[in-house]
Amino acid sequence: MSRADLTKMTKIEVVVTGADAPAVRELFQATGAAGFTSLSGVSGLGHDGYHQGRLLFNDQAALELLITVLPEDRADAVIAGLRPLLDESSGVMFLSDTYVSRPEYFR
Amino acid sequence: MSLTVDTTRAAERARLRSDIAIAARVLAPYWPIDTFIAVNPLSGLEDRPFGEAIEIGGRLFGARGTLTEPAFRREHAAGRITDADLLAALRRRVPRLLAASAPVLGGRPAQPGELLLADLLHGEPAPAPRRLARTRSEREAPRVADRVDAQTTKWCAAFLDDAGAWPMPGREAGFYPAWRALAARDRSLPGAVRERLRELAERADDALLDALEALGVAVEAQRGTLQAHLTRLPGWAAHVRWSGEHGGGIDLVGYLALRLTYETLLLEHAPAQEPALDPARRTATPGERAERAAAALGAGEATGSELARVAALLAELPVAERALIWQDSYEGHYRDELLTRLAGNEPAAATTRPAAQLVCCIDVRSEGLRRHMEATGPYETLGFAGFFAVAIRFQDLSGGAPSALCPVLLEARNVVAERPASGAEALAERRLAGARALAGAHDGFHAAKDDLVAPFALAEASGWVAGPLAAGRTLLAGRFGALRGRLARRAVPPAPTSLAVHESFSLEERLLFARAALTMMGLTGGFGRLVVLCGHGSTTENNPYAASLDCGACGGNRGAPNARVAAAILNGTDVRDGLARDGMVIPDDTWFVAAEHDTATDQVELLDAQLVPPGHHAELAQLAADLQHAGEALSAERCASLPGAPAQPTARAAARHARARSTDWAQVYPEWGLAGNAAFIVGPRTLTRGLDLGRRTFLHSYEAGVDADGTALETILTAPLVVAQWISCQYLFSSVDPEVFGAGTKTIHNVVASVGVIAGHDGDLQLGLPWQSVSDGERLVHEPLRLLAVVQAPLARIDAIVARNTVLQHLFDNEWVALAARENHGDPWRRRTPDGWRPWLEATR
Repeated sequence: MSRADLTKMTKIEVVVTGADAPAVRELFQATGAAGFTSLSGVSGLGHDGYHQGRLLFNDQAALELLITVLPEDRADAVIAGLRPLLDESSGVMFLSDTYVSRPEYFR
Repeated sequence: MSLTVDTTRAAERARLRSDIAIAARVLAPYWPIDTFIAVNPLSGLEDRPFGEAIEIGGRLFGARGTLTEPAFRREHAAGRITDADLLAALRRRVPRLLAASAPVLGGRPAQPGELLLADLLHGEPAPAPRRLARTRSEREAPRVADRVDAQTTKWCAAFLDDAGAWPMPGREAGFYPAWRALAARDRSLPGAVRERLRELAERADDALLDALEALGVAVEAQRGTLQAHLTRLPGWAAHVRWSGEHGGGIDLVGYLALRLTYETLLLEHAPAQEPALDPARRTATPGERAERAAAALGAGEATGSELARVAALLAELPVAERALIWQDSYEGHYRDELLTRLAGNEPAAATTRPAAQLVCCIDVRSEGLRRHMEATGPYETLGFAGFFAVAIRFQDLSGGAPSALCPVLLEARNVVAERPASGAEALAERRLAGARALAGAHDGFHAAKDDLVAPFALAEASGWVAGPLAAGRTLLAGRFGALRGRLARRAVPPAPTSLAVHESFSLEERLLFARAALTMMGLTGGFGRLVVLCGHGSTTENNPYAASLDCGACGGNRGAPNARVAAAILNGTDVRDGLARDGMVIPDDTWFVAAEHDTATDQVELLDAQLVPPGHHAELAQLAADLQHAGEALSAERCASLPGAPAQPTARAAARHARARSTDWAQVYPEWGLAGNAAFIVGPRTLTRGLDLGRRTFLHSYEAGVDADGTALETILTAPLVVAQWISCQYLFSSVDPEVFGAGTKTIHNVVASVGVIAGHDGDLQLGLPWQSVSDGERLVHEPLRLLAVVQAPLARIDAIVARNTVLQHLFDNEWVALAARENHGDPWRRRTPDGWRPWLEATR
């Protein structure tokens, strides 16, 4: 399968604390994302130092990675909402082009 | 062009949602009252230092974060806070000031400490905090602000009270559409306002954007305006946020759309009003403070230049910061005494196998039971979070919706169903039939009571029996409660049940839970023949806050199901085989028994006794008898502080009184719950055994030697400690500002479905604990202290854990929790400070 057979879309990945994750999920849904993927308990080294991954008895303090893919024309609204949210927390956002084989799943 | 407009509007909506989410961070989480969870009402500000957070809390909510200075001074007069405590707090907080040269006052040098003490003890008290983050109607037209609040309360209560006699029409479509359809029919509003309500946007976010525009709020000021509305009625706003996150059909967008729409329209159509007058609020100047201090020190004739030097010194400690000095000294007194007692504790090491081990919840109330149980016989006790490491959704025998029984920090994924025990199916059916009949009668009675017309017929039909019954319940609470208990047991007989643990958990999961629980509590060897896993709950009557007395680690529920599940897992041979492969050998003759401590009656019920092997029956009987003695002794101890309890009763009489109290529907002080909580101790029982800690300490067992990689300690600090800190702050703030952060007095509470309570017939949902949970009506029973964490573990291990967990950095670095630690028994206690570990006393004295 070549890339020409695929549909170009925008992928937005956000890493936030479990406490901030509901706001991001709500924003994704309210701005028309058809769905999202969420990975809890992610760990790593960042601007604020090392972040512990999954904690045995605390889902909220750990970081969560939320991923959504949507048509380019809807991405700007999501970004407009995410930027102030991330300005006020330790979260980060990654934006990239991506290609999907079933575009109807993301519209 | 159309696409551009749509895109712009979509971005505005997204930005609005983001602003709401940020503005709402200052709201504490709020769970429905039937699973009341203790929270820090300023949890949204935990990323800031405590002093800054309470200052912001004052501006946002108009609430105080510490006792008033007169209240602290009364504690000083009573000896609870000493001059030495105050000087130690000053030395820690403003060392430079204490080291300053002594100004001359009245012809003699006055030491800085002397002057600062005089100011603390005699200075004009700091003014009460005032809400500054006000809505436009609060500033310009207070009566409009009140009307907006009244509308908010009316519509939120109508929507959320789904069990009421009049369900809100259209509520299935969600809050905003339902309100939009009905709002214009509200005859209490002026016609012009109703007319405008007919033009509301279809979407809640668009209606909110329209209102912000009509109010002339610039985009950059939007967040502040939204926050002012969210903090005006923080109880409703917090609950609406919770509902929004749990599919409740209402969210903050709709809530704010309603509030700002009413504010816009009512301001437009309101008659001219006088703006709200700010009450006089003046802070004493440094010069005035100097004069007062001089007078207090007998130097009333001091010269102007002398007073100027004193004023310059005092100005270095702003009036608003004096409260923090008082708070530090209030806490320091307790903490120094506690750590001194712990340092001097030398319990004899046990040399024989214990008769049994009793593992209780870390809840402060368990400290009393453990102490009395250890005094009863050769028992060992341990502390562990009362959900015993099994985060479950429990479905009881009736098969209703499962309840999440775990800390709210966790999501319960395993559903455990209760089934009739083998051979007890007929008994279980009788139990279920009885329960259904009672529930039907209860529902029918309340449906009739809540109906529009039926209450009149109900009163006619049942008044002749309801009156005497009410009199009996009130005047003979103990006997009536016992009679009800007997009748209930006859109607709903107990039936042995089993829990489908093997269906709910894979072997891998069961092994994980077993290993985690035993390692965390340091119970990896030396097992007794009986190990009791003792959860807890509280039996009270007519108490909307009943869940606040149940187990916080079980999500505000009773802990028996978790104890039963954990015992079943640990008794499993496959689990024991797996643990043995890891080197953790549980002897074949060790049996784990589930139990539940009723903290209102101090009775401990042993559960699933039918599963206990016959060879253990004699020991089990002895254990039951000793638990009864320990419970009675604990009741006698508790009677000393319960209002209206008999003075110095015998143990038996105290136990009778506690039982009667728990069934008294007029009793506003059924028990003291976690009032008094002040410290969280992590270490082996040898650290605390033999000491009467006054039911003020959370006790978590921990053996550093079996936790080389620190995983167990990390789990303890990032979960049980966090929950304990929430509880600590809930009690603290409910005590210092009961009207804003607490729930006011119980006597005027009205319950709104299962949502919460309001004081009187309208107003905000109450945020915290009732006044009767922290005070006996005249004086505080709870001392509003921040939590002290005491940990016996290698300091480097603690540092490493804190370094990788932001939640702990916030708690310790921002002074929400103080941390004292030592590596080994006999080492001096050290305090974690921004400059590293310092000797505890050097850091404070």
